[in-house]
Order: sequence, then C-alpha cells, then structure tokens
Amino acid sequence: MSQIHRIKGGLIDRSTEISFTFNGKAMRGHPGDTLASALLANGQRLVGRSFKYHRPRGIFTAGSEEPNALVELRKGAAQEPNTRTTVAELFDGLSARSQNHRGSLEFDLMAVTDLLSPFLSAGFYYKTFMWPRAFWEKLYEPAIRASAGLGRLSMEEDPDTYDKGYLHCDLLVIGAGPAGLMAARTAARAGARVIVADEDFVLGGRLNAETLEVDGAAGADWAAGVVAELAAMANVRLMPRSTVYGAYDHGVYGVLERCTDHLASSGGKPRQVLWRVYSRHAVLAAGATERPIAFGNNDRPGVMLAGAVRAYANRWGVAPGRRVAVFTNSDDGWRTAADLAAKGVEVPAVIDTRDAPAVCDVPGARHMRGAAVMDTKGRKGLRQITLTDGQMIDVDCLAVSGGWNPNVHLTCHQRGRPAWRDDLAAFVPGHDLPPGMVVAGAANGAMTLAAALREGRVVAERLGYADKSDLPRAEDEPRDCAPVWHVPQSRARAWLDLQNDVTVKDVKQAHQEGFRAVEHLKRYTTLGMATDQGKTANIPALAIMADCTGRTIPETGTTIFRPPYTPVPIGALAGRARGREFRPYRLTPSHRWAEANGATFVEVGNWLRAQWFAREGEQGWRDSVDREVLMTRGSVGICDVTTLGKIDIQGRDAGEFLNRVYCNGFATLAVGRVRYGLMLREDGIAYDDGTTARLGEHHYVMTTTTANAVTVFRRLEFARQCLWPDLDVHLISTTDGWAQFAVAGPNARNLLRKVVDESHDLSNEAFPFMACGEVTVCDGMPARLFRISFSGELAYEVAVPARYGNAMMGVLMEAGREFDAVPYGTEALGVMRIEKGHAAGNELNGQTTAHNLGMGRMVSRKKDCIGNVLSQRPEMLREDAVKLVGFRPVDRATGLIAGSHFIGQGDAATMENDQGWMSSVAYSPSLGHSIGLGFLKRGDARMGEILRAVSPVHGREMEVEVVSAHFIDPDGERLRG
Amino acid sequence: MAEYTLQAEPPLAGTEMEIAGVRLSAPADLAVVSLALPLGGESAAEEAVKDAYGLDFPGIGRSALAGDGTRLIRLAPDLVFALFTHATPDAERVVAEGLKGAVYTTDQTDVWVALALSGPNTRRALERICPVDLHPEVFGVDHAARTVMEHLGVLILRAGADDYLLLSASSSARSFLHAVEVSLRNIA
Repeated sequence: MSQIHRIKGGLIDRSTEISFTFNGKAMRGHPGDTLASALLANGQRLVGRSFKYHRPRGIFTAGSEEPNALVELRKGAAQEPNTRTTVAELFDGLSARSQNHRGSLEFDLMAVTDLLSPFLSAGFYYKTFMWPRAFWEKLYEPAIRASAGLGRLSMEEDPDTYDKGYLHCDLLVIGAGPAGLMAARTAARAGARVIVADEDFVLGGRLNAETLEVDGAAGADWAAGVVAELAAMANVRLMPRSTVYGAYDHGVYGVLERCTDHLASSGGKPRQVLWRVYSRHAVLAAGATERPIAFGNNDRPGVMLAGAVRAYANRWGVAPGRRVAVFTNSDDGWRTAADLAAKGVEVPAVIDTRDAPAVCDVPGARHMRGAAVMDTKGRKGLRQITLTDGQMIDVDCLAVSGGWNPNVHLTCHQRGRPAWRDDLAAFVPGHDLPPGMVVAGAANGAMTLAAALREGRVVAERLGYADKSDLPRAEDEPRDCAPVWHVPQSRARAWLDLQNDVTVKDVKQAHQEGFRAVEHLKRYTTLGMATDQGKTANIPALAIMADCTGRTIPETGTTIFRPPYTPVPIGALAGRARGREFRPYRLTPSHRWAEANGATFVEVGNWLRAQWFAREGEQGWRDSVDREVLMTRGSVGICDVTTLGKIDIQGRDAGEFLNRVYCNGFATLAVGRVRYGLMLREDGIAYDDGTTARLGEHHYVMTTTTANAVTVFRRLEFARQCLWPDLDVHLISTTDGWAQFAVAGPNARNLLRKVVDESHDLSNEAFPFMACGEVTVCDGMPARLFRISFSGELAYEVAVPARYGNAMMGVLMEAGREFDAVPYGTEALGVMRIEKGHAAGNELNGQTTAHNLGMGRMVSRKKDCIGNVLSQRPEMLREDAVKLVGFRPVDRATGLIAGSHFIGQGDAATMENDQGWMSSVAYSPSLGHSIGLGFLKRGDARMGEILRAVSPVHGREMEVEVVSAHFIDPDGERLRG
Repeated sequence: MAEYTLQAEPPLAGTEMEIAGVRLSAPADLAVVSLALPLGGESAAEEAVKDAYGLDFPGIGRSALAGDGTRLIRLAPDLVFALFTHATPDAERVVAEGLKGAVYTTDQTDVWVALALSGPNTRRALERICPVDLHPEVFGVDHAARTVMEHLGVLILRAGADDYLLLSASSSARSFLHAVEVSLRNIA
C-alpha cells in the first residue's frame, strides 16, 4: 500500500523515497516530509491515545502547536518521548512508537477509562484521593501515574551531546514567514547584522502552505528567492530548525537549534545547541495559530484544523482524507475547501456558522449556511459527522477553522499583557513589549498576506533600516471571522484541550465550583499544561469561561505566557556540563606528584586537593592520617597549600589599607615580618583570616582561606575602588602563580637548609617565627619563605613559581628522605590545626565574632576598620557569649561528634538548655583520643567542667570535659624553636 | 648548592593541534607581568613605558605591540599587562628594571595559561563559549576583553585578523583546554 494519500504537488523530493517505521510497521515517505505528513500519506490516522481517557487520537495540526500526535522517537538510549510528529523531520530509518496505551494502539486495554469518564471529571483526583492521606504517595499517585500520562523515558544516559553558544546581532527576526522575511531583507539590505530564526526546516512560514502568490510567483518560490538572497549576505545568519523559546532582559533571546534531529545519527556532533542571542532589536513575526471549535466528539482521528489540512495538501502533497468536509466560522476555512477541491480531493460540504453567501466557489461542495457540526462517529477514525439540523454526512476528515490567534507568547515573557481585538476576535500584542521588540505580520494581527509583507517592511523602517525597492505585490485575502467557540447543541463531550483531555463540561464545572480565575481554571482542569501549553485550547476555553461568568473574554484574561515557547530538552539546558566537565576543576601544582604517590583527592571548592597519601598495608584512611600527623610532629611533613588565596598588595598606602581591612593593626608590621590578621564583615561578624607578609616598603602579600580567596579579593577591590579611592593601593591575585608548600615539624629547618640557597641564613635568630623574605632555592630559583605555622610545629611555607611546583615537591621529598619526611594531606592538616586550637571554616562560620573566637582583644580600638563599629554592639560583647574552647571525652575511648550541642548535667536536651555547639572534631593521634573545638557559653571561664555533648541527629550523647583549645604545645615553644 | 634543580612544567606545555582548520597551541615561555600605575604617578608611568617600549599606553580594552615583541594590554585605568617571550623565572625583575620604579610590577606568568587560536573558523568555534561579540568590526585587531567562558575567567585578545590569544587561570588549565578544544570539535 504505502503512500495511498499522496496527491500531486508539494515541496517534497519525490525522486527519493525514504523508509521509516511506526509501531514496527514499515512505511515510506520523501525528503521534505514531517513524520506527520508521512503518516497521513500512508493512511495512518490513528497515532496515539489520549492522556487521561485513552481516547484514540490523530494528527490535529501541522506545526509546533500539536496537542495530540506525540510519539516516542528513535530507539534505545536515544528514545525521546512526547515528540510532536508535526515538527519531526522524516529521515531514513526513523522509528516511532505511539504512546500511552496498554496493549496495542488499536486495542488499548486502558480505553476502559473512557467509560468511567463521568466519574473522572475535573478535580476528580483532588476530591477522591484525599483519604487516607498516607495512601497518596504509596498507592494513589503511582496508580494514577501508571494509567495516565504521555511517553516514557529510556532510563538510559542520553547518548547525544549538546552545546551552548552566544550570538550577537542588530536585528533578530523571529519567524521567517512573509513578515519576517520582509523585515529581514529590509534590514539586511541596509547593512544590519541580522539573524533569522525559524522553528521550521524550510523557511517561508505559511507561504509554503498556501497557494497565494507574491509578485506573480508562487508564495513558496518568492520565499525561497528571498532566503537565497539572505543566505548570500555576509551580514545575515539564517537559522532554520531554531526556535526562539524565550525573551529575556536586555534584548537577550533564548534559541534552541536542532542541529542533527533530522539525521539518523548525530555523528558525534552536538544534537542541539542552546543559543543566547544578544540583540539590539527583535522583530517578532511568529505568525498565528488556528483554533478549533468545540463540538461533540470533536477529538476523533480525522478531525483537524483547516489550515493544517490545507498545509498537508499544498506543502506535502498529502490529502488527509478522501472526503473532507470543512466546518468554519470564517472566510479562511473556505480556502481549505477551494485548495482541496483544486487538487481533486472530494469536498462534500462547507459548513459555515455564518448565514452568509459563499466566499468562493468550491466545485462539488454543498454550502451549509448558518450550520454547525454537533457530533461525529467513527471509533478509531472519523466516519460521519452530524449537523445541528440532524443531517449526517459521511466523511473521513473534517477540517475545522475557528479563526486564528496571533502568536503573542514572546511579547508576554516579561509580564506584558495582550490586548483584545474585537474585529479579529483574538488577542494581539499589548503595549508593554519587551524592550527592543517590535511585532509584525499575523503575530501583530495583520492577518492577510499583503498586510504581513507591508508590516515586515514598515517595522524594519521604523528601526532605521531603509529599502527603496517596491513592496512585493500580494493580495489581501478575505479573512472575516465571526467567533463561535462551542456548538451548544452538542450532547457528547466537546473537547477543548486535546492534550490534557479537558472538555467544555470541565470548564463549566470549574466555574460551578468557584475556580473562575484563569489561573485557577488552569490548575483545576490542567487546561493548557504539558508540551503544547494550550496553544490551540486556551482561547476557546477562556471563551467558555467568559460565557459562564457573563464577562467578556478580555475581562476574563489569559494565563501568563512564560518561556519556553515550545519544549526544551533538559540535555540542551545542561549543554556540555556533565560528568567530569560539570564544572571547572583546579589542580594544585604538585597534583601529578600526588597522583603518582598514592594520594586520595578531595574536592575543596573547585580544587582537587590531596586528602591523604595511603601506604601499603594501611587499613583505612585513619591509618594514613594518623601516620602523617605523627611523622610530621615527629620529624617533618610537607603539604601543598597553594590553594590558599594570595593577593599581591602594593602602593604607598598599602599599610594603611591593610589597617582598614583587618581588625588588628598592621601599621607597625616591619619589612620581613608576617602577621596574622582577622577581617570582619561590616556587621562585625568574623569574615576571613589569614596572614599578611611585608616583603618591601610598599609591598605586601596577603593570604586568605581557600574558600574565600575570590570573595576577599573582590571585597578588597571594592574597598580600594569605592571606599578609599584616595589611597595608592594596587591588588592583583597571585594564587595560581606560586606553588606554596608547608614544611612542618622539628626537622623543617634542617630540610629547608638543603633546599634554600646557602646565602640565606635560616637560623632562629636570623629568621625567627613570623619572619618572611624573598630567597632563592635550588641554586638561584626565586622563592618566598614564610615562617608561619598552622600545625603548631616549627614550620615554614616556601613558595616557588607555580610551574616549578611539581618539581619542588619532588625536591622537598628527596631532600627530606634522610629525615623520613612525609607528605600530608588535608585530613592531617585538619587534625593538626584542631590539636593546635586554630580556628578554620567550621569556626568562622558566619555566626561568630572575634569575641566568640577568643580574639576580642585583637579588634583594635586605636583605629577604624571594616566592621569595627558594629562589632562593639552590646549584644556582640555579651558577658555570657559563647567562647571557643577545647573538649575531650570523659571516657577517652569515645569519639566526639561534630555538631553536638552542650547541655548541662541533668538538663533536658532542649533549645532552652542549649549552651553551645561542637564545631570541629578529630581523633588526635598525638594524644590518643578524640578531641574537639566548640563554642560554649562563658567557655573560657569553665575549664575542667563536665558537660553532656548531645547529638539528637545521631541519637547519641557523651560526657565531655572543657579544656584549653590548645591541645598541643600551648606555650608555642615548638613553633618558636 | 646545586644538589637539586627544578624543572619547569607549565600546565599546557606542548599543546598543539589543528581542528576544524583552526590551529590551537599553547605559546611557549609566555611571560606575563602586571603594571600598576601609582595614584598620581600616571604621567611618569606613561613616560617610563614610552622610554622602555616606545609605546603610548593603549586605551582600556586595547593592546599595542612594541618593537621588541612585548604586547601591552590595558585592562583598567591603572592596570596594564605586559606579555612577552621569556623563559626564565625573572620576568618581573626584567620589566621592573626597564621601568625604573615608575610602576608597581607583579609577576603573573604562572597565574595564567595561554592558548593561541588561529584560522578562519576561530570565531565560529569561540561562539560556543565566548559571550563577547567577536564580530571583526566590533572586536578589532588589538582589542582585548575580560570575560567568562565555561565559568572560567578569560582574557581574550585579538592579535591578528584570525588570531586570538586566550588567557585563563593556570590551576584550571585542563578545564580551559577542554572548553576550547570541545568548541573546535563541535564545529569540525
């Protein structure tokens, strides 16, 4: 059989046949077909089952507004559900399956749902499944989901890739129909950078679907000529298969380009590209969408929009039926009748709701004046229609035209409201368009071809682009329309929203039950949801609601149009961001060394840092970490600390600048010395800490925490540029520029003496604790040396230009071999800082003050700094404030739990009795038991007290003793040694 | 004491490929030094630069090439980058000496990695990651801009008709290379 419904003509390539399958059945089509046109050509009217009632459904439209004919396209992992057959381009080997049926499409077992429809009306779920509540999640929802719904996901990883991109233009033309092409050509000839985007794969819009002429040539030929002219211009970018799905701020538009969806395979290239288009202006020439008329059983396969029937005949050379009646309330339906008749398709009747003379001559058709269709017959496809006067006509296709709605969607993406035009009985763009947008053609209510061409030219001229050539000649075809939304004589269900199975009765019921606002109507009935967003359903439904409430349609209003205009795959939104490349990652200079030496890495922000270096025989991470701590404290350990932020600060006023950004004084810091500094937020809460080294008279290097490296830099730049522009201060980040290593432990100096060039005196006298300087290592390599200690040991940080960092790690380990030097990771670093009682991110958590941290006296009263004033508020300095102290378990064998709260002995574990919290916990291999840091009310005055540390999250509690936070070397003898 | 020596291992050293007719490479030994103009000392700085390089300060977002091959890029009113070929780790000292203390200098060589792209398809590839309008009439030869590509801060410079230089943070070099390389592969 194959293409039994093909008729002559169309924009398809008949010289080539391509094969595809639908539900496993082999069919054939031609290049230029959509899946929908090919299915119709093959006589396949039934293509799916409806969402809720499993009603047989067919192809309803010829465009992206399609509510019905959704299929699962492709196989295996590439399977995509809910693909609209009307926009899916046919390719050789295409495989499609119908959706939402149990058993075959023809004998869907779930069709029984339709018999239960009297019980399943709007709001049914809300009312029925209220009780018992616990049943919803486990029973009701899964059951409903199993019986209702659309296509299925493959549940496999998407095998395709996606990309994103950025485009810039003077003029973005949205839609390449007559108005869009005219606007584009006018602007392009004037030299503007123009992008023309159209969702179709053939540019030209309705010109390709009509028999209208432009300048004496077929409309499609004229369009092809303009497209060819535009394609040859360097200042024009044509984007077919590209949907402008959203209008965003500042002239930015979102565009989804389907690059390989029309091919059997993407060939490893991105399947789709999500473009962000920056435009100076945009012309919305998105055309119009035809709307149906609601009547009894108007959802059968074979009932279609009249403009779509015409498009299938004219563009694709397909007759959707052998006997096609037309049911219209406007002149436009007559064109379908005339075009079909001219192509030899039998048109038994034109049923016009208007009692008016024929618009044109349609050979063989009876003209039924002032008539309407009220019912249809045909289980899996239309067989017969019944008119309001009782006449029955045998047809296999009914072309319905209820008038056209301008596609105003994008005009509303920034909360613009459309305006009602009585003469069109339709909403047109309102006055509050997105800035830079103008609207032309049918989208603007210019419903005839001549008007569309004229408007395309006029809007381009209004934007300053001139083209002196004559306007193309075209006719203003008759477009009168007398709105009819619903045939009231219908006794059977009259469908409004085919995708969500919403009927006229459902809307009336929503009204009866008080859901009268359009947004309520939508949620209560599900009208206008899902993939088509009610493009064909919304306005007729609004009209029914308006009728119920006695208000006008504009008074009833529309729901808000939001992006996306048509569905955008999640894969396209993700673009390339998947797997390892989900976001950028940063490597430390010694990463390769660490990889080669058994490091386990941890993500710290974007950084990958060595967490520990496991050795053979170690049973778990604790073994490794304990060893790293003990070996460091016993001899020497080395850790890559490059991730700490480094900011180079220079200028005559650099010292004064530091004095103002740190709460403690920096004015007295001598050249060659380092100082610990604490920054406050404006509100006096501790913000970040680190050290700053003075390398020269006007030259400092600040270190920040890893986490705040960027935010501190930004904050300092703000302070420099905005708060104190009168200071001579210059900042530049050098975080990535220097590979910096902590060398810690009693043998740290001995190790460094082997690496630092001999001319530099590292003795305790010449280079004491908190000294710094520019040195050379390994025979002349410029380096920086800081004698600072996070671990509490005799320690240094040595920095070399980052490209030498990997080699430097090797050199330090090699030089340290005689001392049994050990590399240590972030876990050992953390353990040692807790043992030493140093605050870190857990303690500087955005809730604590210098007062809480036991550093209240650091907030200098002799000078001002950011946060100084507000840090002195009485509440911030409460005498019973929490203070940072140490904790150890009374039963030393017990492990402490971070996040525990401190409760007095015998008190209930309630918020009222909360005395503070444990912020950091570690097992201390140096002490042989668990230790913790935490904040406790008046903690500094409660040494030796026994409290309960309660963790309701873990369901555990333990007794803890309050001790000094400095578990190791409280007097600092080691680090000064 | 020459017991130990250090070998340089720049993150993208040796990168060299041609995809979609675009040559992608990591320039070897590219030194970067920042010059900060002292407040009130701008004229003196400008003179010092003129003496050292024979160039006027380029405007903000513009660059200029000196006779010795040094490229000055003006990033902000008081910030200029000097890019030049220099293998040893003393680029900052060399620039500082030439400018005789008229500017504050900071070595930025290892802060950045660079990728050079050349070929007529370069712009088409960069469309996939670069938000800046690179139309030849908008982003002319010698123009420079700081932007973000795939979440990475990038300094982009148009060095010739179809020649672009991209600089980004050295720690994320692999992600940076991946972003650029994928852009080329996706248009190939």
